[in-house]
Amino acid sequence: MPIHSSRSLRRTNPITLILLAILTFGFLYFIFSSPDGTTTTPVSGIKQAANALSPPSLPFKKVKKGQEGQQLAPPVVHYHMNNLTTSSNPIANQETVLILTPLARFYQEYWDNLLKLTYPHELISLGFILPKGKEGNAATAALQEQVQKTQKGPLKKRFASITILRQDTESPLSSQDEHERHKLENQKIRRAAMSKARNSLLFTTMGPTTSWVLWLDSDITETPPSLVQDLASHNKPIIVPNCYQRYFNKDNNKWETRPYDYNSWQDSPTAQQLAKDKLGPDDILMEGYAELPTYRSLMAYMVDDPQSNPDVGKEVLLDGVGGTALMVKAEVHRDGAMFPPFAFYHLIETEGFAKMAKRLDWQSYGLPNYFVYHYNE
Amino acid sequence: MHRTGYSNGNVEYNLGGSGAYNFSQHKFQPRSQPALRRRRNLIIRLSLIIIGCFAIFLFFSPSLRAGILGVLSLGLFTASEDSQLETVRYYDLSHVQGTARGWDREERILLCAPLRDAAPHLPMFFSHLKNLTYPHNLIDLAFLVGDSKDKTLPLLHELLEDLQAGESPKERYGEISIMEKDFGQIVNQDVESRHGFAAQAGRRKSMARSRNWLLSAALRPTHSWVYWRDVDVETAPFTILEDLMRHNKDVIVPNVWRPLPDWLGGEQPYDLNSWQESETALALADTLPEDSVIVEGYAEYATWRPHLAYLRDPYGDPDMEMELDGVGGVSILAKAKVFRSGVHFPAFSFEKHAETEGFGKMAKRMKFSVVGLPHYTIWHLYEPSVDDIRHMEEMEKERKEKEAKEKAEKDRMDKIKSQFDNPAGQWDKDKSDIREIAKKAEGNEPTGEKHKKEHVDKVAAAAGKDKTGVKGKIGGNKVEEAKIVQDIEEVAGEEEGDQIAP
Repeated sequence: MPIHSSRSLRRTNPITLILLAILTFGFLYFIFSSPDGTTTTPVSGIKQAANALSPPSLPFKKVKKGQEGQQLAPPVVHYHMNNLTTSSNPIANQETVLILTPLARFYQEYWDNLLKLTYPHELISLGFILPKGKEGNAATAALQEQVQKTQKGPLKKRFASITILRQDTESPLSSQDEHERHKLENQKIRRAAMSKARNSLLFTTMGPTTSWVLWLDSDITETPPSLVQDLASHNKPIIVPNCYQRYFNKDNNKWETRPYDYNSWQDSPTAQQLAKDKLGPDDILMEGYAELPTYRSLMAYMVDDPQSNPDVGKEVLLDGVGGTALMVKAEVHRDGAMFPPFAFYHLIETEGFAKMAKRLDWQSYGLPNYFVYHYNE
Repeated sequence: MHRTGYSNGNVEYNLGGSGAYNFSQHKFQPRSQPALRRRRNLIIRLSLIIIGCFAIFLFFSPSLRAGILGVLSLGLFTASEDSQLETVRYYDLSHVQGTARGWDREERILLCAPLRDAAPHLPMFFSHLKNLTYPHNLIDLAFLVGDSKDKTLPLLHELLEDLQAGESPKERYGEISIMEKDFGQIVNQDVESRHGFAAQAGRRKSMARSRNWLLSAALRPTHSWVYWRDVDVETAPFTILEDLMRHNKDVIVPNVWRPLPDWLGGEQPYDLNSWQESETALALADTLPEDSVIVEGYAEYATWRPHLAYLRDPYGDPDMEMELDGVGGVSILAKAKVFRSGVHFPAFSFEKHAETEGFGKMAKRMKFSVVGLPHYTIWHLYEPSVDDIRHMEEMEKERKEKEAKEKAEKDRMDKIKSQFDNPAGQWDKDKSDIREIAKKAEGNEPTGEKHKKEHVDKVAAAAGKDKTGVKGKIGGNKVEEAKIVQDIEEVAGEEEGDQIAP
């Protein structure tokens, strides 16, 4: 064998060597000029948090083990909240967006859609809250896998910070099936628990530098990539797109869309009268149930005919909002508008939120011709 | 191969069939050497070519040099810095629910203090902070400075630096954040306009807003407790955090009183916002329009509610608890989960209440426990009200008049004294002369003389004290005066005793 190899080497042509050189050159070039040159940009350019948590919307430096004791005193961090803006041009003003998602099940489509958002990812912080238990653990594992992948990947796709919270489940509902979930009697308990989860997530992740809060449910699997910019461009304190669902219509063998979220509405005199006459102080009035006809004007049905080239930016005033996708100026939440886990003017969760915001002089708006799509179960 | 085996003379081994001995080391080695050498040559040539390529590559594209360096130093330089930069945070909220023994379980407290034109009170507040016995490293501080026209902000920075300069890490506080946010207050912060009834609703709504801004920006998933403390608390136990925490309630407040000058009775309940709901108040609330706010402590709304403040017994059990519906904001300890689940300080009329009273109501609405400690008291700073100031001005005027009168009297006496000869010097001289003579004459009988002298001295002392008594009277301090009168009487009594004794 050695004789063979030595012979072949002796015979090696200078041309082969030149070819090899060219190959090496090409190979090196391929490595260093891979499509995203960003992988090699120096990291020192990124803003960092002075302390592990101040502010929570920025990456921080890990403390090495055994060093905790010798640390310098935590710095005094001064936040100029007067300079914080929420404007129709959020990118130019470098406004940070906090995307919050209460997560019970992880959908890969949700994450993929999130990655597609064109808003600069370094201005986006993510917050998740997951229940404990079997389902929650599975969802956490799936989420963390994707988070690891994204945050180790190209800088351009990385988010500024991601906070994952776990919470003991308060909801006595074991099943998350669609039918079980939507029964009226179960709704109040479910939505109260949901409100608490939303509030916990909100008040622990919102930092002094957050400008916008975007509530995005984990089952929203399709949105326009420019969702953040589009919603912010209206410069409204609270704004909701219309949430629809794609389904396969067996009658005509076509993919079609249908309304999904009925919680965005304009109030009606009937509903007000109903609340006054028939409901006790702790009762709630909900939308989408035949038991309690409210005759409210639902945004789901305010869609203009797609054939007539409708105005995507059309705004309508709302009295109740849904939480599947909901863009809120951080100052609305800071003033105290939260998701009431109790009957607040006979409303609960996101609808109660719209009411509470209104009590604080913040008006809600809806975009009936701007769609996001819900996962089809 | 077989040939080499034979020439080696190891025939018998070869027959044994063991392949290991088939090789002839001696014959094979010389042949392999040039091959190896050639291969080495090739390797050198190859690496030279690669290096050359590299150099050319670097020469032609300098923009990528940084990148190559980054890759070359792989896990040593850039990458290590990269991996130290953490973007993902993971928390389990079931670990931060708050327990009765938080200091043992390393539970973190967020201490919130809203500040507005608070510069005069800050040094006092920081002395309280230094004295807190709860482990300082477990306390995060958050301040909201808004609409301040005085030097609150620079002073705050200065004091915080001083606070964090402590030697041991346990003395230092945790995360410290200062939020600067102006809300554009219409209402003045002076005492009169602050406590006037008409201004209350608006003032309390804007106070509520600033509290909410502070909390929502400062609350972290690591906090188990939130403590609200006004900066103008004058006296509070150093162990207040542990004392309140021990009760393991969702929301707990101490009793808040304030000291008063003696002429106003010595002390007074300060915080009337901690109360229990009454039927009258509930009925009243139903009659009021949606946006009105019931404020406790004003005659405009008679609510007949039991107030925490009035239940105080200075000798009562400090651990006694009382269920509350509205709370005052001077010193509130609440579990962080209360705020996490959405309870806040309503900046609107929530069940006809706003701010801290509304906070209590909302906490109750969400089924959290809200209690007060009637016999555990902290003392708020006494700031004289406009009436008090007027009264004090009157008193000051009176005092000055009296002083002027006394001075005139004194001057008159001095004048009399200077106009007439003071015979005292002559008397003393005569006295000592007489004493000399007496000593010389009767050296064996001194007791009577000595006693007489003592008696004279004591009378003089009493007279001196009488003089200070007059001074006390000028100051208008009745207590001191009374004490001095008593002193004089005591001296007189002693004197009598002395006289009786021998």
